[in-house]
Amino acid sequence: MDRVKTFKSILWALTGLAIAFGITRMFFGLGSVSNLSDATPWGIWKGLNVIPGIALAGGGFVMTAVIYIMRREEYKRYSKITVLLAFLGYITAATALVVELGLPWMVWKPIIYWQHHSALFEVSWCVMLYLTVLFLEFIPVPMEETERLAKLRIFLNKYKIVLVFLGIMISTLHQSSLGTLFLITPEKLHPLWYSSLLPILFFISAVAVGPLMLVLAVMTMSYLYRKPLEKDKMANLAFGFMLVLALYGLIRFIDIISAGKLPLAFDGSWQAWIFWIEILLLLVIPVALLSFKKMRYSTPVLWITSISAVLGVGLDRANIAGIMLIRTGPVYIPTFYEISISFGILSAAILVFLFCVERFKIWEVKWEDPLEKPEAPPEFGGPADVWLGTPRIAGRTVYSLVFVLALALGFAMISSERIQSAGVEKVPASKARGGDTLFVDGNLDGYGTMFAHEDHIQRFGDKKSCDLCHHMNIPLDKHSGCYECHRNMYTTADAFRHDWHASPAGAKINCDKCHQPGVQRTASSAKTCDKCHNDLVAQNAVIKFEENEALSYTDAMHGLCVSCHKQKARVLEGKEDLDRCPTCHKVRDLESIPSEIKMQFIDTTFNHVVIPFPDLVNRVKIEAEQDG
Amino acid sequence: METLLDFARGPLFRLTFIIMILGLLRVLILDIYGAVEAYRRAGDKRLDWKNAIIKTLRWIFPFKSAFAQRPFYSALSILFHIGLILTPLFLLAHIQLWEDGIGISWWSLPHFWADFLTILTIIAGLGLITGRLASRGARALSRKQDYFWLFILLIPFITGYICANTAISPSAYQAFMLIHILAGELIFVLIPFSKIAHCVLMPISQFIITLAWKFPARVDDKIAETLKKKGMPV
Repeated sequence: MDRVKTFKSILWALTGLAIAFGITRMFFGLGSVSNLSDATPWGIWKGLNVIPGIALAGGGFVMTAVIYIMRREEYKRYSKITVLLAFLGYITAATALVVELGLPWMVWKPIIYWQHHSALFEVSWCVMLYLTVLFLEFIPVPMEETERLAKLRIFLNKYKIVLVFLGIMISTLHQSSLGTLFLITPEKLHPLWYSSLLPILFFISAVAVGPLMLVLAVMTMSYLYRKPLEKDKMANLAFGFMLVLALYGLIRFIDIISAGKLPLAFDGSWQAWIFWIEILLLLVIPVALLSFKKMRYSTPVLWITSISAVLGVGLDRANIAGIMLIRTGPVYIPTFYEISISFGILSAAILVFLFCVERFKIWEVKWEDPLEKPEAPPEFGGPADVWLGTPRIAGRTVYSLVFVLALALGFAMISSERIQSAGVEKVPASKARGGDTLFVDGNLDGYGTMFAHEDHIQRFGDKKSCDLCHHMNIPLDKHSGCYECHRNMYTTADAFRHDWHASPAGAKINCDKCHQPGVQRTASSAKTCDKCHNDLVAQNAVIKFEENEALSYTDAMHGLCVSCHKQKARVLEGKEDLDRCPTCHKVRDLESIPSEIKMQFIDTTFNHVVIPFPDLVNRVKIEAEQDG
Repeated sequence: METLLDFARGPLFRLTFIIMILGLLRVLILDIYGAVEAYRRAGDKRLDWKNAIIKTLRWIFPFKSAFAQRPFYSALSILFHIGLILTPLFLLAHIQLWEDGIGISWWSLPHFWADFLTILTIIAGLGLITGRLASRGARALSRKQDYFWLFILLIPFITGYICANTAISPSAYQAFMLIHILAGELIFVLIPFSKIAHCVLMPISQFIITLAWKFPARVDDKIAETLKKKGMPV
């Protein structure tokens, strides 16, 4: 297979996967595909697509400045491709942002509701304006295909310089504002990255690496389509912006040294290692290789330096936007779905890029698929020995098949458990522990309430009162514990267990034991449980048995206790506070909890957040003291 | 067995069902795209639209043309199509699975009619196999996949009927259910890549046949050249 065909097939497959996961994310929420949480709200979508994406798309404003303001006519050939690259880069970032926002339909809000104190307000306005500018800069290219819009095209081209100026202004504002965002994190961001010069560093690195991204794109294009590469121009461009990169390195090191932070880079921590990897990729390799005139003009060096700088700036942005921030939750590891969406958005953008390169006059001529010879005779001899038609027809046959298969595979890979729990982990509820006084703590995280079980029995009339709360018994049992049916902490469970009843490994009951013959086999037409289990439901219970779906443990506990407490609060003298939260949720001294219960405390993750137990108790104690 | 059932009902179902839906959409779009391209290239742009529409309608409602020859076989075929489409779409058990999964539901067949249509489909399918085998002409025209399709399409109906109506032991029930699901999923995967794709291509096939007789503009010289008869009457 040809290079373009292989490359495009892979891109279509990645796009298909990402669309399947993206649809899942839009319909079932962030929890259905991602590991993002309140503790780690910025994940790989921000760290790979949005923030590095904006930096790498900076080539658009830099190159237009070089071509139209510095009047370097020799680069004019690259004006269209650089605008297209920037436009797609910003589209990629915007798409990733929409996927990543919790309420993506609110994305228009900064247009109407102004928050002058927010750096993100400025960034969002600039990105929206710059997208418009890039759109107006690029749209004359597809317009060349039709003569109908010639007047508009000529008009746009005539006033291009206005757009170029606007682009430079807006980019300067928001490239630096992205750095400004992190100025509020002096305590959170690692000192090797934190600097009051962050806005300036962000701007200079974007200026330096944007054109290197263009070099990388042009080289990839010439490799894929087997076109000659203007190596000397690329090398000159890379050399010019290598000098900017060196300036960036100088400022950064002066800043680090003058602040006395340099020893941190040699303390052997993993952060120090990553710092040196970043410096190697972003500064050492490009600056060292491009400085020598002999090496500058060789293709491998251009490949290595452009890739290295692009990776370096990506790593730098990812470090600042997430990796080097102090962790407040457990380690965030992106799910396969998240990574797929990230790469899928990139793939889709590259496909649009290739489409534009092939069908529009991005260069002097259209770069059609090199194999595109409409009148070439059929060629047999592929793996299936089938001629699929001319290359263009064969292409769309293969790409659409790859896309459909990948999309279906994506939907097959979605975890139904993640979807049904909407990101809430399935935490089994465990038994309340203790004797006369029970410690109710279903998820064993140390938060819990002491329930005076014996006291309640005494109050409501001895053994006869059991049925009031124990509204259902599992077969052959009396007064079953709550956790037996309300099995999950935060999600509902099936109390009836149909599959178990019908399973050969379970009760092994034939269908017709419960379902009558000649009638549709549904839940409503089946026999009720009490036809077989005569002691299942307690007669005088507060909770009436209505359906087989057992509420979550927390809902069940609150539903039962609070409803009764509310009732009693109205009736009893001096017990008006009975239905308030602190009645049960008291802060107790650790010592007062019996040791046999305390032994069973374990640290556990609650919705991805580690709650270290001793800290927690101290914090709650301090808060309680403050509240009096 | 239960893990296998869960796998067949969950990921495998999603995979095969989406391959079917998107695969059918794909062949439909590709065919229309190709037809439009062919029309653009065509030298003679006149198209017999009226005739194509009438032919299409006649094939969708084949009350006249189908009964001209082998009326019994045609009637069986129509009944088979009705049962094949209506039963799986409007069976209550299937709709409940959709409701449990993603919360959508629609009108369902009453139990009697569901059973009736299932048995009708099975009988019609067996009749079609017999009809194919009995007639010498049909036998000569048949490919392997023509028999295979009749056979594989009947499996979910037979196993589905057994599962829905008989009082068999849970282990036998699970075995039949697994066959039912897996056979259905095999059908899903094969539909867009086989002759069953006519379920979406049918409405446009007459237009494509009409277009197929159009040659690209000024192609006659090239044909003559290829046949080494340039300048001679072809």
